[in-house]
Amino acid sequence: MAFLTGVAVTAFGRHPGKGPIDLMEEAALAAIADAGLPRDAVDGVVSGYATTYPHLMMGTVVCERLGLAPAHAHEARCGGATGAMAIVLARHLIAAGACRHVLVVGGENRLTGQSRDDAVKTLAGVGHPEHEVPLGASIPAYYALLAARYLHETGATEAELAELAVLMRRHAGAHPGAQLNKPITVDDVMTSKPIATPLKFLDCCPISDGAAAIIVSAEPSPHAALRIAGWGEAHTHQHVSEIPDDLGLGAKIAAGQAFERAGRRPGDMRLLGLYDSFTPTLAIFLEALGFAPTGGAGPAAREGRFGRDGALPLNLHGGLLSYGHSGVAGFLAHVVEVVRQMRGEAGDRQMRDAPLAYLHADGGVLSSHVGLVLERAA
Amino acid sequence: MSGIGLLKCRGCGHHWQFRRAACPACAAVDPEPVEATGGGTVWSVTTVHRAPLPEWDVPGGYAIALVAMDEGARIMCRADRDAAIGQRVTVELVEGLPHARGT
Repeated sequence: MAFLTGVAVTAFGRHPGKGPIDLMEEAALAAIADAGLPRDAVDGVVSGYATTYPHLMMGTVVCERLGLAPAHAHEARCGGATGAMAIVLARHLIAAGACRHVLVVGGENRLTGQSRDDAVKTLAGVGHPEHEVPLGASIPAYYALLAARYLHETGATEAELAELAVLMRRHAGAHPGAQLNKPITVDDVMTSKPIATPLKFLDCCPISDGAAAIIVSAEPSPHAALRIAGWGEAHTHQHVSEIPDDLGLGAKIAAGQAFERAGRRPGDMRLLGLYDSFTPTLAIFLEALGFAPTGGAGPAAREGRFGRDGALPLNLHGGLLSYGHSGVAGFLAHVVEVVRQMRGEAGDRQMRDAPLAYLHADGGVLSSHVGLVLERAA
Repeated sequence: MSGIGLLKCRGCGHHWQFRRAACPACAAVDPEPVEATGGGTVWSVTTVHRAPLPEWDVPGGYAIALVAMDEGARIMCRADRDAAIGQRVTVELVEGLPHARGT
């Protein structure tokens, strides 16, 4: 059994003068304090990477900064799924009896600390070096190819995708730490500058400085017993050229494992934290996982299904699209928000009771998936 | 011919593009290098308005497509800007890059 016992996230946006380790330290110390643990109780560390500081041993770098000498430490790398993957790894370390309290931490100064050369290097690493990068494809272009295919297959419209960006912005407006909080309309999204058709500027998440941390423990915290009830992974391809014909296949595999292990069904979930790098990412997940009908994610958002008072609240902090995206910390911010909501500590953003939640992230171009079911024990 | 190289499994006949020593479908080793006929169907397409490097920017953007080749492999190509999903295309090398044109 493994429990999420401590969480922390910094504000996302600009943190000039702070590097990745500064930001990770801030989140890690706050998460340890939130768990009510003395520092030295942390006996495991799984850190993320930082594109602004591509160190070979980030796990150890983080330990040194925090003054930790744990039984296990390493750096996990799985693109946008890294944070979720690190939580699964922490759960495995606890299940194996290797650790009792594992710090999962990610953060970087992706907005203020990245040169264009670094950005190009990162890009080259994601596309296929021989068959994709030389064509001038960019990360938004890979997702644009999926978006175009999604629209073609489902009959959904660009304006319907835009509803998801509008929703994330509305949620971010209630969180003081969000990077983008000025309300937007569907028309704003539709008239924002084209990036790679059908994606416009406001269909894409920003890049941010920020950090987040989670403590995964062998026993529940005094706050609440939030158990990792189910987990699943899928790794169907790396490059978009080789994505399966079913765009939702990887998500379905990972989620299917997570729900089976938890002994729960998607319909049991009361709260969602889904990776939302681009509006189509969110639409594909919502529909593949059965939380919206095929082609129906945007209309469901418009009708209020995913709002705080809707049937299935989604990314109540504003998601990557509006809270912001700071690499590995991006998805960890979703986890922090879900935990706060499940504990009833979300203040003005607090939804009604949420004893069961589903979290899902992807890395690459819907390449690697991690799904998690969280359950609050009575 | 198209100039587009593919690999063909000698065991199950599966075709793919990326360099590999064994068939992703059946794991048979020693695939046969073959040249694609060039015929295919657009699986998806985007027009890139913001290139990864400013010096690659083209006024009005440039199109990138994923094309399902008739052999079964899906490959990334440059494409004409009016390319559409489901359209039949011929893929051939243009200045060293695969380019899909409507047939």
